[in-house]
Amino acid sequence: MTAHMASLTAEDIAEQRLRTPWAFGASGRTRALRWAVGLLAVFYLLYLQWLFDFDKLFTGLSRLFVIVRLMVDWSGFADWDHPALLRAMLETVAMAYIGTMLALVVSVPLGFMGARNIIPARIFRFFARRLFDGMRGLDQLIWALVFVRAVGLGPIAGILAICVADTGVLSKLFAEAIENTDRKQIEGVTSTGGSFLGALRFAVLPQVLPVMIGQTLYQIESNSREATILGLVGAGGIGLRLSERIQINAWDQVAYVIVLVLIAVALIDNLSRMLRLRLIGTPARAA
Amino acid sequence: MLELVQLSRRFGDKLAVAGASLTIERGEMVGIIGRSGAGKSTLLRLINRLIEPSEGRILADGTDVTALRGKDLRAWRARSAMIFQQFNLVNRLDVLTNVLCGRLNRMSTARVLFKMFTPAERVLAIRALDRLGLADVAMNRADALSGGQQQRVAIARALMQEPAILLADEPIASLDPMNAKVVMDALLDINQRDGITVLTNLHTLDTARSYCRRIIGMSAGRIVFDGKPAELTDPVLRTIYGDAGVFDERLTSTSLSVAAMPAMAR
Repeated sequence: MTAHMASLTAEDIAEQRLRTPWAFGASGRTRALRWAVGLLAVFYLLYLQWLFDFDKLFTGLSRLFVIVRLMVDWSGFADWDHPALLRAMLETVAMAYIGTMLALVVSVPLGFMGARNIIPARIFRFFARRLFDGMRGLDQLIWALVFVRAVGLGPIAGILAICVADTGVLSKLFAEAIENTDRKQIEGVTSTGGSFLGALRFAVLPQVLPVMIGQTLYQIESNSREATILGLVGAGGIGLRLSERIQINAWDQVAYVIVLVLIAVALIDNLSRMLRLRLIGTPARAA
Repeated sequence: MLELVQLSRRFGDKLAVAGASLTIERGEMVGIIGRSGAGKSTLLRLINRLIEPSEGRILADGTDVTALRGKDLRAWRARSAMIFQQFNLVNRLDVLTNVLCGRLNRMSTARVLFKMFTPAERVLAIRALDRLGLADVAMNRADALSGGQQQRVAIARALMQEPAILLADEPIASLDPMNAKVVMDALLDINQRDGITVLTNLHTLDTARSYCRRIIGMSAGRIVFDGKPAELTDPVLRTIYGDAGVFDERLTSTSLSVAAMPAMAR
């Protein structure tokens, strides 16, 4: 029988503590010690990172304040080159969209080829997987640098960079989604006399389509953020405008560009959420 | 007429089905009983050719089914419709499309690719669903349905194949007794009204007794009994189900008889 809280004596507690010490957690001293060691470790690491160079921190901070003050002063708003900036913004979004869509087109067949349950030949799969790794292993930024050298400054380099890096990501995700499909559903379609293609179309695709749509939308979202950075290395779009304005200390316009990017990203996020709901729908509820 | 001749299937060093020979006449309703692992599922999958036999032959109206490849093999699968213990519907497709999948075998590649069904196929699908009392959930996603409903969708899909034989692998093992009765009644109805041969694995002996006029008993991959329910005496059952002390029929039962189910007697 469980005792009432009021009827518990100090002896009861002491006796229970003796019998089952593990039920009472660590003692106060142990816990204090753990905290001290933990904090010490954190501070030591910060010290190693010269974050505790207070001087630098404060002079840096004061300069940051100056920049922030310049950023919020938008008195020259009317004179800024709005058409060029908006155009560049659209270019960035277009780069992300086109790059991801090209990647999608390539990734669907590659994904099927990289899936064990579609292509049982191990050697083939091995090379497909290594290809994905290679494309994924290098960051988009590196690909952008490569393509800027290859095709020159501008959005084409950005599109190619996004396409290659995303093909690696999407193919791998698609291949895994395809491998994770429920075998029973495939068996069901096969048992009706459906062809291999029929099984792919009616049993595999319905299972992986949500993953494909969801991942592609997410990549478009994330690429429209990252395409800004691609512009910084010359791969077209708003990033190029941003870096120009940072170089000439036009902080008011830098702030404006950042706001533009934030608005664009927010819009795309919302759009893709709506599309996702529309295309994938909510999970089935019990009827 | 379906004939199995010395049919065997080996998994590693284990014989799942060992030299099974059978003749099943058109229009029979046959129950296959046996312990789990006796080879019942493998036998049905061998007939539909979802599993390749290691040895032996399957003859359907004289045609050697085991030799079929490609298009002919798929045509045979369409003729020997299969329903499964776990229903094996495509969860994310609606019920109607799942049923329409039963026509895939007769559709051109282009129609398959673009999911184009003819109005006639749709009518047939709705009628099949209607027959099983499911027309009003035709547009629901398959996984939104209860187990009993899903199994009936699977039967509708099988009907769409216009099969000569229906292979049912433990069709009621995942269902509660009430739904089990609905599904078994549907299979019986299909057998009697459409003249489709039904070959069904059952793990409940009493269900096999009440629905099938012929019962086949399997043990360790072998066919150890083939006869009428009345011939299933205690010694026979011991060879099928093994010598688990005193054999009690209730051990294999999730009873469907009216007496054992007061709720249904009312």
